[in-house]
Amino acid sequence: MDIRQATVDDLLGMQNANLLNLPENYTFKYYLYHALTWPELSYVAVDPRGRVVGYILAKMEEEPSEEPCGHVTSISVLRPYRRLGLANKLMRQAQEAMVAHYNAAKITLHVRKSNRAAISLYRDTLGFEVHLMEKGYYADGEDAYGMRYLFQRPT
Amino acid sequence: MSHLPKHRQLPDKESKLFKELLTQYELKGYKKGLKAADTILKKFPNHGETLALKALTLYSSLPSPLTVSTAPKQDEAEAMARLAVKKDITSHITWHVLGILAKSRKDWDEASRAFAMARKQDNDNIPLIRDSISLYLHTRQYSQAVSARHHYLLLRPQIRSSWLGLVVAHHLDGDIDEALRAYDGFADCMQTDGATGPEKSQVCLYIVKLCMEGGKHEEALRRLEKGLADKVISPRGEASQLKAELLFTLGRREEAEDAYRALLEQNPDNLEYYRGFLRTKGLDITASLDQDATSRVLAQLSTFAESYPRSSAPRRLALDIAQGETFRTLARDYLVSGLEKGVPSLFVDVKGVYPDASKMSVVGEVVEDIISNVQKDVSLHADGLTPLRLPRSTDDSSVGVLLPCAPPGSPPQPFPGVQARPRPPLHRTRAHADPPEIHMAKAMVLKRAGDAQGAAEAMEEARLLDGQDRFLNGKAAKYWLRAGDVKKAEDLVAMFTKKDMTAVADLTDLQCLWFLQEEGDAYRRNGNLAMALKRYQALVNVFQDYEDDQYDFHTYCMRRMTLAAYVSLMRYEDQLRSHPGYFKGALAAIGVYLQLSDKPDLKEEKLTPEEEAERKKAAKKAQKADQKAKKAAAAASDGKKEDPPVPDADPLGQQLLKTETPLDDALKLWKPLETHAAARIETWLAGYEIQIRRKLFLAALQCLQESAAIDGENPDLHRQILHFHRTVSAATDLPSAVKSTIEATLPSLLPTGTTPDDFNASFLSRHPASSAHILGAAGGLLEIKRASNPLPSNTSAEILAVLDKLFSDGVSPSIEVLQKGRSVLEEAGADKAVLEAWRERCRTKLPLAWVFASKEEVEARNASEGPVPNGTVKADV
Repeated sequence: MDIRQATVDDLLGMQNANLLNLPENYTFKYYLYHALTWPELSYVAVDPRGRVVGYILAKMEEEPSEEPCGHVTSISVLRPYRRLGLANKLMRQAQEAMVAHYNAAKITLHVRKSNRAAISLYRDTLGFEVHLMEKGYYADGEDAYGMRYLFQRPT
Repeated sequence: MSHLPKHRQLPDKESKLFKELLTQYELKGYKKGLKAADTILKKFPNHGETLALKALTLYSSLPSPLTVSTAPKQDEAEAMARLAVKKDITSHITWHVLGILAKSRKDWDEASRAFAMARKQDNDNIPLIRDSISLYLHTRQYSQAVSARHHYLLLRPQIRSSWLGLVVAHHLDGDIDEALRAYDGFADCMQTDGATGPEKSQVCLYIVKLCMEGGKHEEALRRLEKGLADKVISPRGEASQLKAELLFTLGRREEAEDAYRALLEQNPDNLEYYRGFLRTKGLDITASLDQDATSRVLAQLSTFAESYPRSSAPRRLALDIAQGETFRTLARDYLVSGLEKGVPSLFVDVKGVYPDASKMSVVGEVVEDIISNVQKDVSLHADGLTPLRLPRSTDDSSVGVLLPCAPPGSPPQPFPGVQARPRPPLHRTRAHADPPEIHMAKAMVLKRAGDAQGAAEAMEEARLLDGQDRFLNGKAAKYWLRAGDVKKAEDLVAMFTKKDMTAVADLTDLQCLWFLQEEGDAYRRNGNLAMALKRYQALVNVFQDYEDDQYDFHTYCMRRMTLAAYVSLMRYEDQLRSHPGYFKGALAAIGVYLQLSDKPDLKEEKLTPEEEAERKKAAKKAQKADQKAKKAAAAASDGKKEDPPVPDADPLGQQLLKTETPLDDALKLWKPLETHAAARIETWLAGYEIQIRRKLFLAALQCLQESAAIDGENPDLHRQILHFHRTVSAATDLPSAVKSTIEATLPSLLPTGTTPDDFNASFLSRHPASSAHILGAAGGLLEIKRASNPLPSNTSAEILAVLDKLFSDGVSPSIEVLQKGRSVLEEAGADKAVLEAWRERCRTKLPLAWVFASKEEVEARNASEGPVPNGTVKADV
């Protein structure tokens, strides 16, 4: 699988992968908003035929805060493409980009409380920690964990 | 301030009210604004500018989406805005409002014209110029955009985005030198640039790319290196990639090599980095390589595989490059390691090498070998010692599970070597521990073998093993659609859509292309052309939304300074409809419109009694909803009760179906294909079918030529050529110019002196073993026979004689070819007995293809398996 920065040309492929895989979906314009505001942050995993089989859609927090903070809007790998470590690779690329281009101090994301596989990936493999719980965050009423990872910054 | 024309003047009191109206509009105090407008209009009902502002205020006060009670008000506002222009045609306000309303309806052309008129009246109006610029960009009137940008810059020279906007406008207008001059002018003027770090970085990279596009590689590199040295841009990602490309282009290969090495350190899974690195070594892996080059590439890749053990990229790339025994060894290692990890996508991944037939058969042999080793419990490793290590979830059946996952490729057998073997895992059932993948694999095989119902049931099994997984849910829904069960599919997808609306409405809002396509196809197969068109048109509308979505970014990106991303958006939108999703949807809809053109009586529905009842029920429901809506509207206008959104005026696609102009509708969908999918033969095949029905013979002939340039031996083209020949031979009223052009051109497709019969026979003899070509020749023969009306009595027998070849040894017809063969027979007037015999032969040839089963067989099967109740969904675990 080819892993590279997402371009405008990849957005429909990302939208397709998202609709196939996850219950939280967005219209094309929201993908455009990401790609045309933070073009360096989103990545795709592409199969040899050019199909997007995994993606990370990422942004920087817009509200002014003390330190720049990255956020993962959505990350997903199509079911048949699991066990290739793609989510891990996508996440790491986006993280590096946040630090390099936006001097991010940390990265946050939301995850369904019931999604044990994802929580374990974020916590055990990628070093995230749960820092808050948001009641009824998802449209269907499920709670979300807010997870975050603090980047090591040069002192 | 110039003198106001008389009809625009207002007395002091009204003049004050007019200002109040403006203020209230800006503050969104729509009620107060409307009141002020009404007071003015009482005395001066013909005051154009007041009418315009009232229209704008009214329009802006409406909710989105429109509701039953507010829909008429929108029409009122539109009419008022038009009236306002009539009353005061020299006012910039009346034109501006007209433009704003047109823009809101996404009628970009009208908006653009109205804004141009407005600017004639008030040249220096800033908001007006800003809107015009967006519209010029949106409608791709780049030279007008440049002059509007110039004008804007003169008025607002101190703003950064005025300059950058001009740079981009020049760029889009194709004048890169001028764009760079404008940028340098800006850099000189703006000594202190107040932009943030990320903003400066965006601009710097944009300018580098601009130089590259203009072929100014030295300059690009200089600007890039300066940006890097000044720490304006980060070396991570794109900047380094551009640097590597530039160094390579400038012949500084060693530096380029280092640059690519650095990139691979950042991301060893990026294939372009490997390609770029190898290019610096004089090895272009996108071209064909000689033996020496091949082994050098493999050596490099193997080094990288050691440096980056967690990256599959170098090992996978090697499979594309390697040949012969080297390929066998590498493929085996790759497959064994994938199997050991239990990678479900292993064979989809390896499928990339199948276009090379010899590689495909090697993969087949390797798989065979692995299976027999697994069955014998022998090591899979070259040393023969390392023990078998398959992951727990994929025990000894796993290879068998993954094997059928292998081949969504060529039907019906994945590998030449394994076509005859039984597939034990497919029929094994185990109560526990089966991963959904085993059922998915079974479903996939059954689907390809032509058993849509069995496939859907297998996919349903997979879904039931993990009801929370949307991927499985969507797959199951898709398979039910393939099996023709729309209701069941909708019930399934509804598990993951919003609860306060129908699943279809939600998936349409969310632009779910696959669902719209598949459900349209399902309706079409079921003969419900109205609903098929409904879904296809919804899909086409999604692409219109994708196009309209760019509008806000014309200003947004100037503000955010994401200029390079903006330019790539513009270029992307220019070719948006080359997307395979549009291609597929448009072709399907065109197919339906052609059916409607050929058989207008399809527009009249023939309903079964059940459908009749269903329809009546739906009509009653609609009536009730309508009444409810009207009541609600009445209540809402009293300021009470809920006000529902405007319902869909054509929920069942009846209006679409009853089109008076099916060919024009088809043409409208085809036009983007002509421009953006000109390399696909399907575009021209469809184009021919449209144009020949419109009796535009030269346009039809041109489609034939375009097809021939892509693939002169295409079987559908072959039939079309004979169709064209017959059609123009029979046409008696061709204008002489048309006739002479045809006479001059047709021989390049159908040589002079070759009779249609010879042409057809020679086509068949060139492709004796290709099922698609045999079918094409059968169709060609039918076209020849159609020269006489009625058809000669021996037609169907002669066609059957051609189609017989589909059953010869060495010919492997697909289900689709056999189905189309039946259509040709039917068109040729074959009687029931012949068609029934045909069905039986197909059934014997492809025993898993239930599409060819008799009614009795299907009924017997349903009875034995217990009918899957229609429209109910098994409860999730």
